[in-house]
Amino acid sequence: MKNLILCLFLSGAVSRSGAVSTVALDSPSPLVKIKIMVKAGSAQDPKGLEGAAALTGFLAIQGNSGDPARPLTKERLAEITRPWGSGAYPTVSVSKETTVFSFTIPREALSQYLDQVLAPLMTKPLFDAKELDRVRQEFLQSLRSDLRFQQIENLGLVALDNYIYEGTPYAHPDMGTEAGLKTVDRYGLMRFYRTYYRPENVVIGLSIQDSGLKARLEKIAVGMGEAEAGPFPAEPAAVPAPVSGRQVLVVGLPNAISTGIHAGFPLPLTRKDEDFWPLYVGNVWFGTHRDSFSHLYQVVREERGYNYGDYSYIEHFEGRPANLFPPFNTPRRSQCFSVWVRPVGHAYAGHILRAITWELENFIRRGMSEEECALAKNKAKVLYLSLAETADRMLASRLDDEFYGMSPGYLPGYLSRIEAVKCSEVNAAIKKYLQARDLKYLIVTHSAQAPKIIEQIVSDAPVWGKTPADYQIDVKEEDGRKLYLVPEPKLDILRRDALWADYSLGISRDRARVVPAEKMFEISDLPR
Amino acid sequence: MKLSATLFLFLACLASAGVFPYPVHKKTLPNGLDVVVIETPEFKDVLSYNTMVMAGSGREEEKGKTGLAHLFEHILFRHRYAAEEGGYDDRMGKLGTDNNAWTWFDVTYYHPLTFTRNLERRGKAGLPGLAELESSRFTALDFSEKTFKTESGAVLGEYRRLASFPSEKMSERLAALMFPNHPYGHTTMGYYEDVADMPNHFEAAKKFYGTYYRPNNCALIVAGDVKAGEIFKAVEPYYKEWKPQPIPTVKQARGSQKEELREHVAWDADVAPLVWVAYRMPAFELGSKNAAAAELLSELLVSPAAPLYKRLRYEKQLASSLGFEEGTRGFESFDPRALVVSAELYKEKHAQKGKAYFSEVAQEIVSELDALKGFSKDPKAKELLKNLKNKYRYDFLAVLSSPGNIAGAFSWYYRFNRSPSALDQLLDSVEALKPEDIDKFAQAWFIPENRAILTLAYEKGK
Repeated sequence: MKNLILCLFLSGAVSRSGAVSTVALDSPSPLVKIKIMVKAGSAQDPKGLEGAAALTGFLAIQGNSGDPARPLTKERLAEITRPWGSGAYPTVSVSKETTVFSFTIPREALSQYLDQVLAPLMTKPLFDAKELDRVRQEFLQSLRSDLRFQQIENLGLVALDNYIYEGTPYAHPDMGTEAGLKTVDRYGLMRFYRTYYRPENVVIGLSIQDSGLKARLEKIAVGMGEAEAGPFPAEPAAVPAPVSGRQVLVVGLPNAISTGIHAGFPLPLTRKDEDFWPLYVGNVWFGTHRDSFSHLYQVVREERGYNYGDYSYIEHFEGRPANLFPPFNTPRRSQCFSVWVRPVGHAYAGHILRAITWELENFIRRGMSEEECALAKNKAKVLYLSLAETADRMLASRLDDEFYGMSPGYLPGYLSRIEAVKCSEVNAAIKKYLQARDLKYLIVTHSAQAPKIIEQIVSDAPVWGKTPADYQIDVKEEDGRKLYLVPEPKLDILRRDALWADYSLGISRDRARVVPAEKMFEISDLPR
Repeated sequence: MKLSATLFLFLACLASAGVFPYPVHKKTLPNGLDVVVIETPEFKDVLSYNTMVMAGSGREEEKGKTGLAHLFEHILFRHRYAAEEGGYDDRMGKLGTDNNAWTWFDVTYYHPLTFTRNLERRGKAGLPGLAELESSRFTALDFSEKTFKTESGAVLGEYRRLASFPSEKMSERLAALMFPNHPYGHTTMGYYEDVADMPNHFEAAKKFYGTYYRPNNCALIVAGDVKAGEIFKAVEPYYKEWKPQPIPTVKQARGSQKEELREHVAWDADVAPLVWVAYRMPAFELGSKNAAAAELLSELLVSPAAPLYKRLRYEKQLASSLGFEEGTRGFESFDPRALVVSAELYKEKHAQKGKAYFSEVAQEIVSELDALKGFSKDPKAKELLKNLKNKYRYDFLAVLSSPGNIAGAFSWYYRFNRSPSALDQLLDSVEALKPEDIDKFAQAWFIPENRAILTLAYEKGK
């Protein structure tokens, strides 16, 4: 295992030419991947102009570029790139701290592509005002319609970010706020571009070893810094205030047929820290995303059938409802621990909220056995197969390594780091970083259910979930009494249910509030 | 520039008729199970071990019992290996696998991923290998009714997580509208009331398994750092006792549609309005001109370079998004299904224009599909078609990015004719297309009698 090299092109090189950093793999594919990471994202949105980073990224592609007399329009871009495959049409992803442009090009078209497409896009964006208006309308529609009312799982996940990072530059969605999107103009985008799109703030990723190509890309990156930008502006800290005690925010929707539950608190470590790896192994055992291996999934879904899945995280995981594995290029200097319970029947929300809190507390209290640690390490190693599945993922990961300053990088060092983790370190990390005392809960439910769920949460009375009948436990009448014939495995489930039901969350009414979905993301601050 | 051997292989393949760059080996066992091995040695130590059952929700014929194929996908993960509750899942976890599956109309696909060395048991006292564990759940599934009922709760949870998407309801209504006499008339997830009632469908579920989970209706597709000969030798003992039986076919109901169908869905949250324009399509016959022409429709209609896309999204700004609702998967099916062009509209414009807005967008879409009937008359048709073929080929190569993705792409088309050269046949058929073939396809299929238009808008209180 120690000597495993998954793919022959995993090995790569990092180099610096002047101010520009370049990472290069050695992929044999006839399709070459180029990624350009700008180390600025939605956290760098100026106050009141939330959405500037996302619009800058999208307008760099769709807002005309090159010679203003004969610009490279989005229509021409589509025509030029069409014969080279879908990947040749550039894409951009904007996250909290980075903006990443991706290009996939046939080798034989590389030279032409750099001249006709990549260079004008990256060095001469025109930020056309009409295109800005069009893209702005699309963003607003996406925020007002899709995020608020369609994707209730994603709404919960984005809202949890908003809640945990309240008061910091991480609080608003990456696409911006309603007020920010309405306000930002093309000069705002030009300012953002001049401030952050410059050589010393860029990392280039290349899937092949080609010194000529590398030199040309670095020249393009240098061209991004032609305007005098001055020093980077001072940034407010992205580290949120510590959570004190437990509190809950309920987001009400007009038509939710079930209730989604989230919880979390800030973590003072990232993947660059030594303690990350033992905590990672611990989290694999407790809550691996979309995997029956994990404890939360077992007790909530497998044993009791409450929902589709239950997971925990020690890093931000973008696009969780759709992605089986965490995408790269969403690095953050500030991370949080979170638990995600996929929608459950409304009636069970109060019980399951107690359940996950009890389970987290119990996990911290009991720690993990040597056998559990060994199984979790084994599972973590298998996850590597998917984390490093494609050249695209490996290249994206190398850009993140540059962001974090990791050497060896995340994937190159992954297996040996997992192998080196000791169970004592896992248990120490769990005790050091995890806790269930200071938590923010975020619930998404039907507006009419919200007051009932709040009642369940603040109540000191037991809140039960499924009944013996739900568990298909046989019952017979004896002397006018019901006698439940509980088999041994079910007895354990019922005992645990009782512990969950009786668990007091200790949340007073003044620490629980409801907001309607239509009020979310108007501005960075949560609605009052 | 120094080129690796694999790159030479890729480039050589691009230049020749055969585009799929990996050797495909096939052996059919006496019981009818196809074992297909795709050797991809550059992915060191990776084993992608896939079982494709050629039945999905498109084989659920009994009313009130929709969603069983999908439920069974779940049940297979609850297999009592060695007569132990959770035994399969436990052994797979200890072995170290990433294990998942998906269900679609024609197919249920199981795709564990692990290290190559985990294929076979290591020593008599060691853990069972992947071949042994996987074969046991297909050849001798063991599960209790209680487990079945518990798992049906998880499936209900899956329905709930999707329920907030208006597109789910649109899919449900469109299927019922266009295919009232075929199992394609319900979605893979099934109707909510059926899913909620699943705990009572134990016997029907067992019957579904007994009917379709048969070796002659399945294929084992292995890709990764493996040798075909070793795989054939390793897996055959585990599958040879699996009993075949005739697989029933679904009765093909004659289409009775005489004119365009229309339906409107009132939604109870303030979402963007939707317009879907759907056309019945022929069953996907791999290698045929019809299938090849259909493969290029996405590029002709809803890509950023397509005239319709540019008009709706850029020039007139009538739609905030435009696409095929199910991609090409919507019509790459055993029996005839549909192409669905979906447009998301602007809330503000809908508030101003009302129903006329729906008609305007639907008419734009219909006109563009009609225009394809004269595709060859465009003086640039040949050049355009050449560009589309290039794009198709590069997009195909882009998919071949890992053993799992290679096996997935291969399996998707292999099911149509069970030929190891299925992908090359598909690509050859696209390469052979002439502009007139697009005309003929559009003339045959894009007619009002094949059309359905579905709309959705927020209506407070409904």
